[in-house]
Amino acid sequence: MPNQMYKRHDRSDIFIHWFNAACWILLLLTGVGLIQHSAIDPFGSGYPEALRAMVGGGGNLLTIHEGIGLLWILGFVFYLIVNFKGAKFFLSEVFPVSPERDVPWLFKKMALMTIGPKVLKDPTLPDQGYYNMGQKVFAQASVVGGIVIAVTGIIMWLSDRSLGAEAVGIVSWSIFLHFIGVGLVFAGLLVHIYMAAISPEERPGFMSMFTGVVPGDYAKHHHRLWWEKIKTENK
Amino acid sequence: MAQQLAMVIDATKCIDCKGCVAACKVANNVPEGQWRNWIKQDEGTPTPGVLPTAKTRFQPGACMHCENPTCVDACPTGATYKDKETGAVIINDALCIGCGNCIPACPYNARFRNAVKRKADKCNYCPERRAHGLLPACVDTCPTKARVFGDINDPESEAGRLFRKNKAKLVQVAAKTDTKPNMYYIGDPGLQDWAGEAVIPASMIAMKESAPFIKGIVGLSGLGVLAMLSRQLFVSSDENKENDDA
Ligand code: HEM
Repeated sequence: MPNQMYKRHDRSDIFIHWFNAACWILLLLTGVGLIQHSAIDPFGSGYPEALRAMVGGGGNLLTIHEGIGLLWILGFVFYLIVNFKGAKFFLSEVFPVSPERDVPWLFKKMALMTIGPKVLKDPTLPDQGYYNMGQKVFAQASVVGGIVIAVTGIIMWLSDRSLGAEAVGIVSWSIFLHFIGVGLVFAGLLVHIYMAAISPEERPGFMSMFTGVVPGDYAKHHHRLWWEKIKTENK
Repeated sequence: MAQQLAMVIDATKCIDCKGCVAACKVANNVPEGQWRNWIKQDEGTPTPGVLPTAKTRFQPGACMHCENPTCVDACPTGATYKDKETGAVIINDALCIGCGNCIPACPYNARFRNAVKRKADKCNYCPERRAHGLLPACVDTCPTKARVFGDINDPESEAGRLFRKNKAKLVQVAAKTDTKPNMYYIGDPGLQDWAGEAVIPASMIAMKESAPFIKGIVGLSGLGVLAMLSRQLFVSSDENKENDDA
């Protein structure tokens, strides 16, 4: 039997993923340049000054960051209008966690990927569904983090446009939450990019973010519970 | 030496005419009910016909462009900063979003959130006027020349001369947080202990304290990726295969 291809991502899913990734990278690069305080500055000093000089001042950098941020939010609104069903499916796959399958999977997988199979008595991984637990953790962080980042971003954007002096507490806490949200998602993002783009075993998953489909043997091996479901549906 | 723009004020010359307050408001378009500068006094307002018990002393003031500006420490973006060239504490309006962190961080209450611009505001020594060779509005307007403005590091300037000549008896307002203000009084300015404490908002403290944790988590994640990458590159693919097929 030829290796049958299974549909994994819709065109709108592929669009929103790469659109989001591009926005994230630009927002990170510009956002880090907006923090200039010796106790916080994520890279140590020099970067914010250099970036600000490049774009003609901190005010311009802020405008660029705000513009990309608003575009990012609009992109998601657009996606939700086009493929609300897809978003609902995504959330329903990402948030439910099975304690007996997913939790051991995560710990075993982390040990396997970093130290190797020898540390585990039984290196077999429990079967996973549409997303494995690692993907779920990152997806949950991106969804919750993304909402926090977007909401606090809008509050900060409104601060000097329509909010009064009584709102400064909310604005200042928004700055803190924005920072924390980005920091945590970014920590996950390092692993995400490694797994998706660099690790060889996930190569078919990487290709699926362009073509939308994965080969059957990959689906069977990596997302067995999902494969069992679609295998019967597709027949 | 770099400049340090400052005011050297002869408080005994002040007649409480409030000319400086009005001139500043006009020059800087300060909204109704808000002020960038002030004149404080240590006695109640004198009543006509009643001889005051003590001589009322007047103390003109504004942002003191401190050596150790707590407001700058409260700002996460560097929208307010101490200018290296002039020593003035500046607000970059284009970068400030009006989060308000810096306002309680000033023990002299020199900052406010401009009700129209919705951004932090305070004395900036009138840079537009200085660019045209004029003095700050409050200094220019002062009829008794109580306020003297200039670079105190320049012995040739009026301010520098006064600063040097009176060095021993210069008085600064003493706040509970010592910010080393660059506002010097010659002559008795009256009240000297009215200033409060620099309060950095809890949200800003939370951000400063959480920064090392965030860096730690990102670092751990980076280490994990490095561990995975080195396994991918250096551990024989046989062993990986074994685990793949398991
Ligand atoms: C630029 C580097 C990136 C690459 C190469 C990349 C690659 C991928 C790939 C190949 C998938 C599909 C996995 C599968 O369905 O099997 C995926 C999914 C996903 N990506 Fe990315 N991505 C990148 C950046 C981002 C960013 C910046 C975010 C959000 C902050 C993000 C969020 C997600 C989420 C939530 C999923 C679905 C859940 C998961 O697979 O973990 N990605 N990514």
